[in-house]
Amino acid sequence: MDVSDILAAHAEKQKAVTVEKDIPLVIDAGFLTVTDLNPVDAESYNEDLEGYLMSTARDGIQALVGALFSLPTTSSEEGPIAQLPPPTTQLPRAKPLPKPKPPTKWELFAKAKGIQHRKRDKKVWDEEKQEWVNRWGWKGANKDKETQWLTEVPANADVDHDPRKAARDERKARIAKNERQHQQNLARVQGASAQSGTAPNADRKKQIDRTLATTRTSTASMGKFDRTLEGEKKLKGVKRKAKVSADAEKSRDLAIIQKLEREPSAKKAKSSSGNGVLNVRKAIRAASKGKGSAALARESGGGKGKKGRK
Amino acid sequence: MLRTVKPKNARAKRALQARESKEVEDPRTAIFVKGTHAGEKVHGAMKELMALKRPHAISFSRKNAVRPFEDASPLEFWAQKNDASLFVVGQSTKKRPDGMTFVRTYDARVLDMCEVGVDKWVSMSEFKTPKSTPGHKPLMHFASELFDSHPRLIQLKSMLMDFFNGEVIDSVCLAGLEHVISVSLAPTPPSLNSATPADTLQASTSKQDAELPRVHVRAYTVRLLASGTRTPRVELAPMGPSMDLSLRRHAAADPEMLKQAMRRPRLRKQDAAKGLGKKRKNVELDEMGDVRGRIHVAKQDLAKLQTRRMKGLKPARDVAGDGDESDGPGQRRKRRRSE
Repeated sequence: MDVSDILAAHAEKQKAVTVEKDIPLVIDAGFLTVTDLNPVDAESYNEDLEGYLMSTARDGIQALVGALFSLPTTSSEEGPIAQLPPPTTQLPRAKPLPKPKPPTKWELFAKAKGIQHRKRDKKVWDEEKQEWVNRWGWKGANKDKETQWLTEVPANADVDHDPRKAARDERKARIAKNERQHQQNLARVQGASAQSGTAPNADRKKQIDRTLATTRTSTASMGKFDRTLEGEKKLKGVKRKAKVSADAEKSRDLAIIQKLEREPSAKKAKSSSGNGVLNVRKAIRAASKGKGSAALARESGGGKGKKGRK
Repeated sequence: MLRTVKPKNARAKRALQARESKEVEDPRTAIFVKGTHAGEKVHGAMKELMALKRPHAISFSRKNAVRPFEDASPLEFWAQKNDASLFVVGQSTKKRPDGMTFVRTYDARVLDMCEVGVDKWVSMSEFKTPKSTPGHKPLMHFASELFDSHPRLIQLKSMLMDFFNGEVIDSVCLAGLEHVISVSLAPTPPSLNSATPADTLQASTSKQDAELPRVHVRAYTVRLLASGTRTPRVELAPMGPSMDLSLRRHAAADPEMLKQAMRRPRLRKQDAAKGLGKKRKNVELDEMGDVRGRIHVAKQDLAKLQTRRMKGLKPARDVAGDGDESDGPGQRRKRRRSE
């Protein structure tokens, strides 16, 4: 029996669906993408642009389709469904990764003790009604004690003992306890995150502190003579900066020394120690009660100032 | 910044939950924004890109004075408000005629941008051929060696993949493969050919941009023909739109932000045990599917090994009344020496 014809036909078929390239095509089946890294053939590109683009695209897609059809498949009504491998290309995410939920106090305890989580059904079987009812919530089984028509009362109960109210109070107390624990868990997480340095309002606090520091040094005396409030803290981190460089400082100090070494000016010397006995400037000041020579002259002249004041 | 709202009812809560970040993300929603003047070409191109991107596309019908490269704050606001992370901004100016800017965001902040000029554009309606079903995933084809070496084109490839195909899926219906987006480049200019990637990074961009090859974006429909083998034979037919683009300005991603955006979720426990991802030492799955671990203990000092305490094994006492249980041989020797 001659099978060469069959083999040739098979080879022919294979040829039609295989693609030969100098550089093998890079296929990312997860993203249904194929990249052809062969350089563009300038000659055929210039000759027939659309035809060239389509033929390269066909080759690439043929290889991609070949890769997709060789993946493991499951059948469905619409046709085979190929199971894709995870993509090899890395694309940036649109949102940050979700943060894991912080464990509650109970979860921490259960983990330390090795307690396995057991899922509790939401429904329980009601023998009387012969049907599944909610464990809690609407028509919940936890309200049976409050709704039943007859309740046993212990013999030593108070006169005003209301078994329905007692059951209801107990249930409400459980709810309140759960809510309290929930709030404690939230507060614990908040505290932990604040300790790690990223409190939600840390920025705002810093901003307020900075504004306060600015206002405290914004009075005429730069805050030196301000009345401090009770419990007000000293400003931290305020330092005077020397703005002068070493050279400038040196020349400044030298100038001061030179000034000191210089003889007192003629004017000053005359006024301060003219005749030796009387210091005229001081005498005027004492006589005018610190108001100066002009005021003294006015007063002695006719008391103009007094009249005006009245 | 939008105010943070606390949901008041279950529906609002579900809607907000759908917006929260997920381990495996939904496809990016694209917003198509027209600038102060878009022009016919860009207008048509954006319309048809949107037709391909549907249903994950939002069109802004009004003109907006938005310049992504100068001030990206309106984009960031829209990204937050619409829960979108991709923008196509169309703007035609005298200096840069028929420009389209692709903008990607991360966490409602701009990640990177890429501006292209539409040189030639042929509408979908000019090809009298069957079209693909809206909402089907396209196959993608990139042809040029520069997509692997040149930073600008690596960015373009990443951007277009994110635009058309950026959703991680675990399975695809093979009968639903209907169309192809093919992105090819003109022949590589010799200046880029000889240059090493390090050089292209350093070289001044303005000079390089002029030399970057033109980008041809084509859309084809796929016909799968029986070939007699398991793999069908592929025939393509032009579907449109077809665009010739030239690369213009771009803004690369901030390395710090990109690093955050590239973070992958940790592999699930099951996968980790199988040894996918990072190699885990000393943990293996046996044939029964149980996880078995090996632990290593430091070398033990057998001299200090606590054996059963029996009277017969105890050393003979030399001091009367010394009933110390922990009396080891070492201690005894010491005492003897001191005597």
